[in-house]
Amino acid sequence: MVAVTIDKLAVSYGGARVIDNLSLMIESGSFFTLLGPSGCGKTTLLRTLAGFLDVADGRLLLGERDLTRMPAHQRDIGMVFQDYALFPDKTVFDNVAYGLRARKLSETAIKPRVGEYLERVGLSGFPDRRPAELSGGQRQRVALARALVIQPQLMLMDEPLSNLDAKLRVQVRETIADLQREAGITTVFVTHDQEEALALSDRIGLMKQGKLEQVGTPEDIYRTPVSAYVADFVGAANTVAIRLAGPLAAGDGQAVPFGGALVSARVPKPIGTGNAVLIVRPEDVMLDLPSPTAIAAVVASKQYLGGTTHYAVTLSDGTRLSVALHGPGHSAHAVGATVSLALDAAKVLVVES
Amino acid sequence: MSLPRQIGSVWFWLTAALVGLLSLFLLYPLVNMLASSFASAGGRGGSGWGIFLSDPRYLTALGNTVLLGLLVTLGAALIGVPLAYFAARYNFPGKTLIAVLPLTTLVVPEVIAAQTWLMMFGNNGLITRSLGDVGIAIPSFYGWFGLTTVMTFIYYTYVYIGTLAAIRGFDVQLEEAAQGLGTSPNTARWKVLVPVVMPAVLASCLLVFTLVVGNFAVATILGGRVALLSVITYQAFVSEMGSDPVMQSTLASVSIGLVAAVLFLQRWIVSRGRYEITMGRGAKPQRLKGLSALLLALAASIVVIISLLPLFTVIAGAFTRARGPVMRWGEWTTLNMERVFLNAPDPIINTLIFAGIATLISVVVSTLASYLIVKKRTVLTPALDYIASLPLALSGTVLGIGLVMSFNTGWLTLTGTAMIIVIAYVIRRLPFGIRNASSTLYNVPNSIEEASISLGVPPVQSFFKVVLPIMVPSIAAAAILVWTTTVSELSASIVVYSGGKETMPIQIFRLIDSNLMAQASAYGLVLVVTILLPIIIATTIFKIDVFASR
Repeated sequence: MVAVTIDKLAVSYGGARVIDNLSLMIESGSFFTLLGPSGCGKTTLLRTLAGFLDVADGRLLLGERDLTRMPAHQRDIGMVFQDYALFPDKTVFDNVAYGLRARKLSETAIKPRVGEYLERVGLSGFPDRRPAELSGGQRQRVALARALVIQPQLMLMDEPLSNLDAKLRVQVRETIADLQREAGITTVFVTHDQEEALALSDRIGLMKQGKLEQVGTPEDIYRTPVSAYVADFVGAANTVAIRLAGPLAAGDGQAVPFGGALVSARVPKPIGTGNAVLIVRPEDVMLDLPSPTAIAAVVASKQYLGGTTHYAVTLSDGTRLSVALHGPGHSAHAVGATVSLALDAAKVLVVES
Repeated sequence: MSLPRQIGSVWFWLTAALVGLLSLFLLYPLVNMLASSFASAGGRGGSGWGIFLSDPRYLTALGNTVLLGLLVTLGAALIGVPLAYFAARYNFPGKTLIAVLPLTTLVVPEVIAAQTWLMMFGNNGLITRSLGDVGIAIPSFYGWFGLTTVMTFIYYTYVYIGTLAAIRGFDVQLEEAAQGLGTSPNTARWKVLVPVVMPAVLASCLLVFTLVVGNFAVATILGGRVALLSVITYQAFVSEMGSDPVMQSTLASVSIGLVAAVLFLQRWIVSRGRYEITMGRGAKPQRLKGLSALLLALAASIVVIISLLPLFTVIAGAFTRARGPVMRWGEWTTLNMERVFLNAPDPIINTLIFAGIATLISVVVSTLASYLIVKKRTVLTPALDYIASLPLALSGTVLGIGLVMSFNTGWLTLTGTAMIIVIAYVIRRLPFGIRNASSTLYNVPNSIEEASISLGVPPVQSFFKVVLPIMVPSIAAAAILVWTTTVSELSASIVVYSGGKETMPIQIFRLIDSNLMAQASAYGLVLVVTILLPIIIATTIFKIDVFASR
């Protein structure tokens, strides 16, 4: 079942078209993440869903309801903000009860419900505290409870973890994942952090300059990026410009030129003659393993990180690759040593440049 | 927001309503006044500008005003800057006393300052007579001597406050870095601190200049034979009331032009001086010992004593027996106070009512206006922003004349009503109220309102339910500041008031004019208490930081 339908949406902001002709469907009950660098339009899209920005063209549907021109306060959407946006003069209880009171629920009905949601976010201890007396993680939990308690049809989260320190970020992230799964509320989550996106999402929409560059499951996005941009943004990747002598059909095990040799690669979509990009992740490069297609390289630098070692190696044609090794002997290669290099054929991609 | 959506929103119409109100009570009088300065003066030939340029009396007044402005600004800087520097960088005996200085300008209305200086140094003054008894003659206090002295001691606090904030915000690490690069401490200070603090000093000096140009109370009471723009503007108004408004308009326009020019200069300096230094670590004050500490403490206490002199004098004067203009110092009585409360309490009642209503309106209007300007921008917002800052360029006298000229007759006749006094009060304090509320609003993130809206509360109700409660402490502080400055307002109200509508400052001004200093002191004491009481209650009971946003 489709919860959110975005149909040929256009949004203008300060005279410029920030989003143009964007279409997307989000499954009911799923966790959808809008991922991208700052300025890519992900927050604009989220705020348009919330009703804080006007739709210039196209349509927005929530289930069967047309949201396109509906005022924000009638949309029945829960929103969690980057800066928590708690009401500073109100207690934790009153913050969470705010939406219920706006819905004219009786105080006798409100009390147990607020209590229930405070317990769900792990904050049942302090209903009478004010936001200033809470830590950042606690504040965001209150904000979560406040948005969830109204049992909205859609949850919107605008970088809710980015103001928290690394440890809290993981904790609150887990809370968000648990709550979303329990409540089954369709959620749209905005972040620039690929790790958050991979960890939380059912599907990810990666945005670039107001357009969706790729939409897919975390595995899709990570394993089969459609472009060097996606590969670069999600996880670390080596993106190497190559020249194809002839067109390539889609399929596995295609021979492509790389580092003066031919390597086997996956081609998700057919590519014409000329410039293309070869994508290989650092962990998919192997050093000094017996391989028929080994390429000679020199170790240029080395960073020992305990469980893994990161190398930079230079090929004979000057191409530089990042390599991440783990397992026995991962730190054995010295700077300046000549090594033979092989790529994991199943994980090498070639896409259009 | 697109234009059709803007026009459909309630914020657009609220902005339009405020622009309309301000156009009626501020823009229209101003335009009216400027226009009539170009009309031909009845029977004298030529427009007001022709007369202004041909009559040496007017040009002399303009020259005097500029000269007085420069003298007072210089004097204020000479006291305010060193005082701020030493207060920020050194500890010395009695330093805590200096902390009360910013309060004195607020608590002692200009009219009382002028009056109490006269009670000491006037022709009949206590100090003049005591010195005369031992054969020392001091020059007449009326004219340049009195004007510069009194105004300097009123206005130096503005320079002091501005400079102190700048020095405290200055990152001392810059100075240390300069020393680390091989400059001596004194050179480092000169080369690093001075350029950074200078814009703030200049800006506060220019503010002082505009205040001197607009000053009415001290200029009229102590001016003597020195013709000043504000005084002759008022005289033109008093003598030509109802017959020939050309000259008063011309003179008012001249002072608007003068103040506007200085304000533009000030804006330019402030915009050039943005170095973003607020994150810095301020210098730790050094402890001074020995002779230098003693000298500094002495200098500082002289400034403090002189600043507080009006307060002591007005208290003493209020309880001193007087026969006509002669004060019998040392003979105490409660007669003056009794007369104020029992025989003529009208000025007190008028002040409380007018200022109370004005404060209420002012707080509502400036809260709404600042919310519209900061949070709900529409195509009309720039217009509201500009019109609302216009009163900064208008002295009270000028505003008063504009209002009287514009609402003397016609469909909206306000002259002679209490309403016009309240309007003058509200308009004069508007820019300060808006600036105050805006500084709070800039710190309220938009997301708070959006959170409320997304939880199902419509925009207008969201403002009342979540934004307004956050603003309450600053609104309270603003209300107190508006109250204190409104109850002591003189220059506009003396132009627009009519018989029976006297306020305390007007009554004091008239008593000074009649040389009845004991009666004036009695009203003065009530006025000071009226100002101080809300401040004391707010800071001690409600813990409101009245001066946080000043």
